Amino acid sequence: MKRILIVDDAATVRMYHRNILESAGYSVDEAMNGIEAIEKALQEAFDLYIVDVNMPKLDGYGFLRELRGENISQVPAIMVSTEAAENDQTAAYRAGANGYLVKPVKPVQLLTHVRLLIGETI
Amino acid sequence: MKSDMSKIIISEEDFLKFREYFYRKTGINFETTKRYFVDKRLIERIEATDSGDFRSYFIMMRFQASGAELQLLTNLMTVNETYFLREDYQFDCLVNSILPELVKRKTDNRPIRIWCIPSSSGEEPYTIAMYLMERWPGIHQWDVEILSSDIDTGILNKARIGRYSARSVMHVPAPWLVKYFTRVGDEYQICQDLREAVEFTRVNLAEPTDTRGYRNFDIIFCRNLLIYFDDLSRKTAAEVFFDALIPGGFVCLGHAESMSRISSLYKVRKFPQAIVYQKSLESR
Amino acid sequence: MAFIKKQAQPSTEQTQSTPETRDCQSLLKQLSSNDSTERRWAARDLVECPECANALMQRLKIETENSVREVILTTLTRMGDPVAIAGMVDCLRSEDAALRNEVVEAMKQLPLEVAPMMLGLLADPDPDVRIFAVNVLESLCHPEVESWLISVITYDAHVNVCATAVDLLGEVGTSNAIEPLEQLKARFNAEPYIQFAADLALRRINEI
Repeated sequence: MKRILIVDDAATVRMYHRNILESAGYSVDEAMNGIEAIEKALQEAFDLYIVDVNMPKLDGYGFLRELRGENISQVPAIMVSTEAAENDQTAAYRAGANGYLVKPVKPVQLLTHVRLLIGETI
Repeated sequence: MKSDMSKIIISEEDFLKFREYFYRKTGINFETTKRYFVDKRLIERIEATDSGDFRSYFIMMRFQASGAELQLLTNLMTVNETYFLREDYQFDCLVNSILPELVKRKTDNRPIRIWCIPSSSGEEPYTIAMYLMERWPGIHQWDVEILSSDIDTGILNKARIGRYSARSVMHVPAPWLVKYFTRVGDEYQICQDLREAVEFTRVNLAEPTDTRGYRNFDIIFCRNLLIYFDDLSRKTAAEVFFDALIPGGFVCLGHAESMSRISSLYKVRKFPQAIVYQKSLESR
Repeated sequence: MAFIKKQAQPSTEQTQSTPETRDCQSLLKQLSSNDSTERRWAARDLVECPECANALMQRLKIETENSVREVILTTLTRMGDPVAIAGMVDCLRSEDAALRNEVVEAMKQLPLEVAPMMLGLLADPDPDVRIFAVNVLESLCHPEVESWLISVITYDAHVNVCATAVDLLGEVGTSNAIEPLEQLKARFNAEPYIQFAADLALRRINEI
């Protein structure tokens, strides 16, 4: 079973993503900021990361930069943001994201991106 | 079964709501299997505060300006008992991973300095001293300084004396017990050599004039202390440690604690035995 | 044995990072030093110089070294004076995402000082600022928190501002929030996230 780490400081968002992903057959773990996510990523090899932009301590950009820069993991990551602007997306990709979703996320949207990035068919 | 205990009910949603809040505040995330343990303590506090039900209690705790109730509950939810070799995987990490890495990049002959806070009654700094003697060959090549601090002068005095109950030494391997302790009645007296190996000082982490002199440490042990601080004091303590460490120095926190709730100053380092936090080599 | 003790108590050896001159004027100068350790120490010690809040704020906006930024924010939080608060609010509009998040956290530590500004922030034309304001509400011990959140989910046009508010209502909401939550669901009936979050909040409020 593919493992996905949800990184978001809002408990409701984590629960929402968890519901969608678990009902699609994925196994999920959660972290509530970038540092906790780094701790988890160091201890377990996930297949995908779903990362919120704005979080305390270490935000989504910081998390991705460290994840990639320190070579902790190179598996795909989807950045989730309230910003639709192009420069926000560019910044996300530059930090190491492989996908970008604008909140609020729809279930079908999330699953499409997850499946494509994990290498499954849609 | 006490009849009044059964009147207060913690519903599933109450539990989840509390769990999220407690996780956000303390970093402690209870598994659903811990439900009974959590409910029991919540009910205890709901009764003790005469809140009547979970909802009133939760609102009271959440909006209490002093944070005292959350603190009390944290104490109840975490069993903080100190004894020799407590959470010993971290000492394994010290002798098998941290120290080898430190001495490998060492370019001077300066002693290796370890700061242990809170000292409490001394079990932890003395455990470190024994571990170094028994499990770290490097002790024959390197000088080590162990400094142990606490805010409570009474407990520091106890630590200096070094007299312990049988319960406190129950995890000490028998050969170590023979080598480093003398039995005195029902108690165990730690030997003079170890007492001399550790220096005890009083410090208040929130007081800049107290902490300013603590510099050039290679390793800081601060286990199960910050969890009892409020957010700002915790952050201040993390900054004090940062200033007290050499570049590349390490901080070890308790097993239920994570720097992720406290500060982003440190790099997370994963060793086979434990997660620890490092001041980057480039930092000064 | 290779254990040693320094007879002198904690090292009194003064390095260049703790210069002897610690008066406010010299600290201010050190705050713009080229050496980040010196800046960090200056930021830490400036807590004794409340008149320097503005200088700290200005430095925060250009400071690139993470450890110095953290200490500046801790010092400003400990000061907690109007200049510091106003500066923090200013930073909520910064282009620098990391800075905005750091400031939200600092503001959460100052509920009493921040409370009077909340209404203004919740009505800010910039939805990002409103989202940050709702985030700050999380830590506010203020009797009005629930009614502020209710007014957000009733009147705010921006779905993500409402989403953030619903999140918190699940934790602090009472029966007063039930009707507004139902209305929110109707207003954003095509947004599955809002449906999910509002239902969760309703479940938590209704369950006695």
